[in-house]
Amino acid sequence: MPSRRRFLQTSLATAALPARAWADAGAPTHLSAARTPEGKHSLVGLRADGSRTFALPLPSRGHAAAVHPTRPEAVAFARRPGTYALVIDCALGRTMQHLTAPEGHHFYGHGTFSKDAKTLFTTENHIESGQGRIGVWDAAGGYVRLGDFSSGGIGPHEILRQPGREMLVVANGGIRTHPDQGRAKLNLATMQPNLTMMRPDGTALDVASLPAEQHQNSIRHIAAFDDGRVAIAFQWQGDPYAAPSIAGVYSPQEGITLLRMSDAVLQGLDGYAGSVAVLDHRHMAVTFPRGGVLQVFDTETGSTLDLRQPDICGVAIAQHGAMATDGLGNVHVLTPQGARRLAQHDLAFDNHLIRVANA
Amino acid sequence: MIRFLVPLTYGVLSALPVAADTRQAVFDHIMPRYATFAQSAQSLAEVSAQDCLVKGMLPQYHAAYDAWVSVSHIQFGPVEQRSSAPALSYWPDPKDRTGKAIARLIAEGAAPLADPDEFKEVSIAAQGFPALERLLTEDQPDPDAACVLRRAIATFIAKTADDLNKDWQSGFGADFAKSETQAYQTPEETRRALYTALSTSLAFLHDQRLGRPLGSFDKPRPTRAEARRSERSQRHIILSLSALDDLTRTAFADVTTPQLQSAFNEAIARAEALNDPALAGVADPAKRFKVEVLQRAVRDVQEAVAKQIAGALGITAGFNALDGD
Repeated sequence: MPSRRRFLQTSLATAALPARAWADAGAPTHLSAARTPEGKHSLVGLRADGSRTFALPLPSRGHAAAVHPTRPEAVAFARRPGTYALVIDCALGRTMQHLTAPEGHHFYGHGTFSKDAKTLFTTENHIESGQGRIGVWDAAGGYVRLGDFSSGGIGPHEILRQPGREMLVVANGGIRTHPDQGRAKLNLATMQPNLTMMRPDGTALDVASLPAEQHQNSIRHIAAFDDGRVAIAFQWQGDPYAAPSIAGVYSPQEGITLLRMSDAVLQGLDGYAGSVAVLDHRHMAVTFPRGGVLQVFDTETGSTLDLRQPDICGVAIAQHGAMATDGLGNVHVLTPQGARRLAQHDLAFDNHLIRVANA
Repeated sequence: MIRFLVPLTYGVLSALPVAADTRQAVFDHIMPRYATFAQSAQSLAEVSAQDCLVKGMLPQYHAAYDAWVSVSHIQFGPVEQRSSAPALSYWPDPKDRTGKAIARLIAEGAAPLADPDEFKEVSIAAQGFPALERLLTEDQPDPDAACVLRRAIATFIAKTADDLNKDWQSGFGADFAKSETQAYQTPEETRRALYTALSTSLAFLHDQRLGRPLGSFDKPRPTRAEARRSERSQRHIILSLSALDDLTRTAFADVTTPQLQSAFNEAIARAEALNDPALAGVADPAKRFKVEVLQRAVRDVQEAVAKQIAGALGITAGFNALDGD
């Protein structure tokens, strides 16, 4: 862990630079929301060696962030049912703008930019109807709210854009919640999760779902392969000891296929996957924080590499393999040779680790 | 001055006994229990080799299952690296995977089961105590195949127990006591592993061993009790509570409190007084409340552990595991 002195020096040094590009010194390669020992919440920038660049205070618990395709800028979202989003200058480690979900909406915690960088899309709940919405914001013009359209289901959670294309993918988790009832799940018996592929104007191009007997496998977190496939991490809402596989892949030809998970591993996961990252054209990593397991799936052979680490959750592609974070403050690097701890911070890293583009 | 003294004193108090208590947990609690498990599992395998009939195997089955339940709360280290726990005790099993796996194995013919290397590859739901229990308590259409399968399971359990015991004896135990394993490199990490074993085992006791058969008042689920066919459900609760009490007295001797000890005593006394071996009483309103009171007593232990042990050691529950999104 860097000493406080070094941390301060680093912040000062970067603050003095007219940093406007991702590659500038001091810019993080990854972002994560975190809880401090005092119980406060912050957004933390991490370098490739696991050290911390900045820590920005957040109004309440954060969740994920959307990374601007060209500028060193990210939008960090409140955890559901929060209503704030912060536009962050990642090189300077500074908050540039506060966004608020429109009246009657709250954020679900994820968002993504259009390929042309002009638009920010956010997953939202229309509280009164419980319908999932995708909020549209003018990223080129000061993040003015432009409007919203249907997410194609209830409880949209993660949203991403297919690499190199103006095509959005929305994980409609299927679970209805209402802020008046906290985080209580209101429709588990009838929930219908789906994965919706849509144009940036909201036109649905494909909707994929699981067979009826698996309707309680909530589609929560997703990551894109380069070829149109989407890696999926599920959260099973039925009896955790009756959970089917909670990792899968969508392909335009075959829809959603669950990946084989061994009974011995699945039995200890509480039906809960936390995050997913695509590592290359065939490997994907899924974290299971309740089981303290990270699995790397080879989608060609079906084999897995299993790693054990308590409370592991954040995972993202990195320059050499992947980076992962846990609730104990550890930053890990994953390579084909295995995992290694890079750094330990006096922080509890929250659910998601976000890779910053071009870094 | 006081403001500074408190954390300093706390630091000294928690730093010194850490190693001592972890050592005590390893050498007085964990390793003797693995040794007992290995020994009794060996006896089970030996008796099955001579006599794989139900009557011959039952006493050793009970002894070995007792020994496993008395150490199954240790969920880190070799048992985790080998993924042994789900194979030894595949439960809860709401989809009856054990029943289906046994039926399939017997239908396929028993010959391959006799080869331990082949048996390693069968469904884990058919490898451990829950499968053995079925074969010892239910009528078998093919007695010869059932006999071979009982022997295969007993051999598998003995081999697994021996592997785990040897792993602990041949280095992992000493390394863990010194916080020098690959996964646990500081006293805080070893203690957190011990604490997690304690807290997740209590949660399993409350939510699964008691919660599953209790179901709801309108819909009790007596057939969901663990190991009910051999009337071991109550016994597992007693053994598990006693093991967790002993773990607390060894691993957390420096921070345990009289309140926590009396919460354990209360829960153990209620479990022993239940007089309901298969927890069938959950469906009888007159007996059900006793199980509910026991479940509340376990909840009291959980709360005392969270407050007094986690509080004193500065351990917080898993941030991501606790309340996910």
